[in-house]
Amino acid sequence: MPTRFKRSSKAALMVMVPATTLMLASCSSEEPVQTAVYETAEQCAGFYNPEQCKADFAAATALHPQVAPKYSDKTSCEVDFGAGNCETPATAAAAAPATTNTTSSGSSFMPMMMGFMAGQMFSGGGRSNLQAQPLYKSGDDRSTFRTATNQPVSRFTGPVKVMPSRMVPKPGAAVNRGGFGAQAQKRSEQQSSGG
Amino acid sequence: MKKIQIEERPGWRNYAESVGFNFHTFDGEAYWDETAYYQFSLAQVEDDLEAPTEELHQMAISLVSEILADEQKLTQLAVPEPYWDWIKQSYDSAQPHLYGRLDLAYDGTGPAKLLELNYDTPTSLYESGFFQWVWLEDQILRGKLPANADQFNSLQDQLEHRFANLQLAEPFYFSSVSNNIEDKGTVLYLLDIAQQAGIDARFLGLDEIGEIDGQLVDTENFPIQTMFKLYPWEFMVREDFGRHLLTSKTQWLEPAWKMLLSNKGILPLLWQKYPNHPNLLPAFFETAATQPLTAGWVRKPLYSREGANIELVDSEGQRLQVAGPYDDAPFIRQAFHALPKFDQSYTLIGSWVVGDSAAGICIREDNSLITKDSSRFSPHIILD
Repeated sequence: MPTRFKRSSKAALMVMVPATTLMLASCSSEEPVQTAVYETAEQCAGFYNPEQCKADFAAATALHPQVAPKYSDKTSCEVDFGAGNCETPATAAAAAPATTNTTSSGSSFMPMMMGFMAGQMFSGGGRSNLQAQPLYKSGDDRSTFRTATNQPVSRFTGPVKVMPSRMVPKPGAAVNRGGFGAQAQKRSEQQSSGG
Repeated sequence: MKKIQIEERPGWRNYAESVGFNFHTFDGEAYWDETAYYQFSLAQVEDDLEAPTEELHQMAISLVSEILADEQKLTQLAVPEPYWDWIKQSYDSAQPHLYGRLDLAYDGTGPAKLLELNYDTPTSLYESGFFQWVWLEDQILRGKLPANADQFNSLQDQLEHRFANLQLAEPFYFSSVSNNIEDKGTVLYLLDIAQQAGIDARFLGLDEIGEIDGQLVDTENFPIQTMFKLYPWEFMVREDFGRHLLTSKTQWLEPAWKMLLSNKGILPLLWQKYPNHPNLLPAFFETAATQPLTAGWVRKPLYSREGANIELVDSEGQRLQVAGPYDDAPFIRQAFHALPKFDQSYTLIGSWVVGDSAAGICIREDNSLITKDSSRFSPHIILD
């Protein structure tokens, strides 16, 4: 036997084996928290306290122009959220009950609010660490309700458990996407971009 | 250096697909070819391939600071001027590199000759690091190869070791054009190794990369702090998001300075600095005064890949040309050096470096002297 090999001592694959689903282990000790997803305050009122539903819906609607991702043109927004699902902050304000002035420019586009996630409804007297917020649906997945930061919440309306740390609303950034890749398209879609 | 026929492992195609090797056959034509293997002696590997690979690598690395200090060289390499400072910064701050592949003409005797450096987006990594390794183990187990057969291939070990030591901010993203099967396969292999090294590595399609205020972000709009990309730098700097490279706080593999070495202009620069080096072929930049191609010369664009746009005239005056889309940048001329012929095919050796260390070889065959994407991949062994 040679004393020194010129090849790797082992060659294992963890990810590339299709049958294996690799779950990235979460390191946090966070507990999931109960909440609910509805499309409208009325839908929510069928199951919970109507006043609380209205309050949470109003809070979510007020947050909507602040947290929704912003696009400089309608087409870019519709690429992510689907045709007909984008609006300007002005349109959102006109449709919303008693929203205060938006901070976004009138010329930007954002996805329409598709529903809301309850905040205080489940706090059971104490303060919940969940904030009522608007939910959206992406163009290529019309079932999943997602937060403005693209966190999936639920594929159905009704009660759901979520991790509070992933549900923190943030001001909606003006995001552009897809600015790499044109040269490869131009030179050939099937050819490898490598050498 | 011998080429020896061997029995294919029964069911190898099913096995290949079960381990993510979905491009083993390309448009109905074989890519992975295990009907034969190449055999080298240990001395051939160590003296004629491994040592020259490390030497050529150091020679190339030594050119980087010289290029950065010389605007004429930067211009000859067609590096866009707005990126010069950024590239210099990536070198001055010692941004680490991961790997590269040198393409060598070698027939078992005499010095191997450097044909090209693939130092930005080398492919055939998975076949080299994993699949040919498994082939050897299998054939030894089946008794088709002697137990003391070895292979010049420590790619996966070295990549894992290097990932573990790079101290990359996490999550570390791996990106390629999403719908290109071969590219995605290569990138998933690297991602796999990075995860084995304990890194939180994630795939992000090139088209999914977003930008907010000049910072590149993922699909959840979180800043991309570290990214490996299997996509050429020379494309990125010419695309819509190219300008964000200058402002985004992102550490890249390969680092920006590697762009200088993955450009065929490095071949004339190597020849200028190390004329008559045994492992180099004469090479020059084409100028307006350069004559049309004559016997014994090859014409290559600075930026082509997989043999595209290469034209050669062999020593007998036979002309060979590959069409392609890379005709919009300068060209170089390199002396023709025939690839060795085994049976009906021409054989090219790809010699890997990980960091600054030689990490193994891969062998490709083509029916023509210009090796292309669809060339066949053959395994090899070392046996004395």
